[in-house]
Amino acid sequence: MWCATRRFSGWLVVTSLVAWLLLAFCWNDVTIPALCSAGLRTPLSDSFSMAFVLNSPMQLAWGWLLMLAAMTPPLIAAPLRHVRERSLANRRARAMSLFVIGYGAVWTIAGVGLQLVALAAQLASSDARMGLALSASAATLWQVSPAKQWCLNRCHRRPQLAAFGAPADRAAFDFGLTHGAACVGACWALMLLPLFAGQAHVLTMLAVMLFAFAERLENAAPLAWRWRGPGKALRIIAVQARMHLAPRAIIRESSH
Amino acid sequence: MASTRRNVWALGSDWADPILWYARGVKAMKARALNDRTGWRFYAAIHGIFPPLWQQYGYLSSTDTPPSQADRNTYWNQCQHGSWYFLPWHRGYLIAFEAVIRDAVVALGGPNDWALPYWNYFKQDGLPPAFASANWPDGTGDNPLFVEQRYGPNGDGNVFVPLSEVNMNALGEPDFEGVASGGSPGFGGVGTGFAHGGRVHGAIETQPHDWVHGLVGGGLSPQEPGLMSDPDTAGLDPIFWLHHANIDRLWEVWRQNSAAHVDPSKANWINGPASIGEHAFILPMPGGQSWTYTPGEMSNLATLGYNYDDLSAPPSPLVARLERLGVGITEATAIARRTAMAKTVELLGANTESIRLSGAEARTSIALDPAARNRLSTNLNEAARTSAVPDRVFLNLENVRGISDATAFNVYINVPEGENPANHPDHLAGSVALFGVRKASTADDKHAGDGLTYVLDISGIIDRLHLSRAIEAGQLHVLLVPRNPVADEAQISIGRISVFRQSN
Repeated sequence: MWCATRRFSGWLVVTSLVAWLLLAFCWNDVTIPALCSAGLRTPLSDSFSMAFVLNSPMQLAWGWLLMLAAMTPPLIAAPLRHVRERSLANRRARAMSLFVIGYGAVWTIAGVGLQLVALAAQLASSDARMGLALSASAATLWQVSPAKQWCLNRCHRRPQLAAFGAPADRAAFDFGLTHGAACVGACWALMLLPLFAGQAHVLTMLAVMLFAFAERLENAAPLAWRWRGPGKALRIIAVQARMHLAPRAIIRESSH
Repeated sequence: MASTRRNVWALGSDWADPILWYARGVKAMKARALNDRTGWRFYAAIHGIFPPLWQQYGYLSSTDTPPSQADRNTYWNQCQHGSWYFLPWHRGYLIAFEAVIRDAVVALGGPNDWALPYWNYFKQDGLPPAFASANWPDGTGDNPLFVEQRYGPNGDGNVFVPLSEVNMNALGEPDFEGVASGGSPGFGGVGTGFAHGGRVHGAIETQPHDWVHGLVGGGLSPQEPGLMSDPDTAGLDPIFWLHHANIDRLWEVWRQNSAAHVDPSKANWINGPASIGEHAFILPMPGGQSWTYTPGEMSNLATLGYNYDDLSAPPSPLVARLERLGVGITEATAIARRTAMAKTVELLGANTESIRLSGAEARTSIALDPAARNRLSTNLNEAARTSAVPDRVFLNLENVRGISDATAFNVYINVPEGENPANHPDHLAGSVALFGVRKASTADDKHAGDGLTYVLDISGIIDRLHLSRAIEAGQLHVLLVPRNPVADEAQISIGRISVFRQSN
């Protein structure tokens, strides 16, 4: 069981690493036609058409899928393990695949929307910093909202799954869909940031992934307006670092 | 000086000195304000507090001065359930509580070696009389050990723990730490962070801990649970502390029962949740000073300065099981001693739809996967032939949700049609009390609304089905029988009932 868990985690790490390498070395930024972004009075629909001539939908789709493959494995490790553990041995691969398909489908649809928003914003303004500032503001506002907590709480859900036949397939797929929807709800604003980051695209993605992973370490919580982020992850790092220096002191000091 | 905790039934009389002093200490604590760290209500809120229920029962009013926000954040709502921290956190809680009571006892002129008695409900089934009477021994009527909201297993105020419904099977668990993947949840629970209500209850937590909570507290309705039935009120009942002293004793019994029974050696357990950036275990001691402790510090009774008068263990259930499968007693005993937690867990089968537990019973059927069932049968045949350790089989009640913590029910498998299940104890898979289910079912709280999962060892039942070849039918019929009919408004549901096998 422990070996299987390690193997499973290993595959997720490898998938994520390969995607990151491809992104780092093969990624091309979306090209915005100079005419559109120069502030000339070109209708938005024409600008979109020209943008899609220079960036084929296929290119956009592959870029987005690569981004998902890089960023989401750490986020879906726990629900995928739930699917694996609660499925019959001869259905595990199938159930996990269906979960990933459902989860990926939601993010793909969300990706179309987010990319259109990013393209529209870039076409509407020649100042790239404006888009980045707006997306950062949206992400900050969403981050402190009760709605974000509502979504995060649903990311912690581990539903019952049917064991046999078509109901089992449906359950795994539905879990992928609902988990994906919760994940999109929690992270959509954060995911806008890399789309406006220009040359820092990949680095911003990495930061967003680490942030999103870290905030999932927190337990579910009541809905409220408050800051939420990677506090627990930072505390773990701090405590572990200090434990190596003064093993007993930290345990005694750590209380809220 | 080491103190000795003694069985409340063996103190000599109903109001023997240790109980009388306990009552006086409880009275002193109850006289303290809500914001006094050594007060009765403050201490109960450390376990958990649900203000609406406290108000309903008169334990909280608008005239109370609440503790500071810092004190509430630091001390309240700490109890660890559904977690491998269940035992060590509660051991620290008992130690601190005992110190506070002893301090009050000494201040009243009592003995400075006073120790908390434990309630051994495995030998006598009633409630200790000092807790059942509203009067002190002299007949005056403000006995602080008595609480109104203790309704008992039948919900009629007659409080007892039927001997036939509690057991110490958890002592047969080979490992302290279990798994949350369908196999054994271990003697002490599954690995978690700070878990003020985790999902999967460990073996000792499910039985007898939860079950005794549910039977003693009982309830009048979903909105009126007994104090002991709900973790957010349980600490208000003075019997809570004697029940937990017994659970604490069983931890030591388990440790001494086999050289292989050792506490977890993982750093996360030894150093506690503070070592992973979470809430430390912190309690007020006499005078209100803070005491921070770790699970690792709770392991050794000798260093903690107390012991129990009885640490005898019942026979190992594994030995009985091996004998049933045809292994000789000598070999069976040797196998039981060297058995460790099996490594592989796989799903054998499950029912098809979630079920609602309402009224006097609920039924469902579990289909078994033929390939997985064959692997199990092969293993059980091998066990009899080669004295190998047989697979263990577990019934999982997954995603149990509802709003009534006072719900308690027995789970039976393959009771003959039309027969009274009470006449078929061999078919009893286990007993489940939904201690903590209300909180666990709240979507926007720490559980995310997943409810609780209970894991019952049904290896014995499966052995018999295997030996009689009845398992080849490929189905198990599950019957849930509540102690008392369950009101529909309790909204008790079970997401899935499944069967897992755990093997090497």
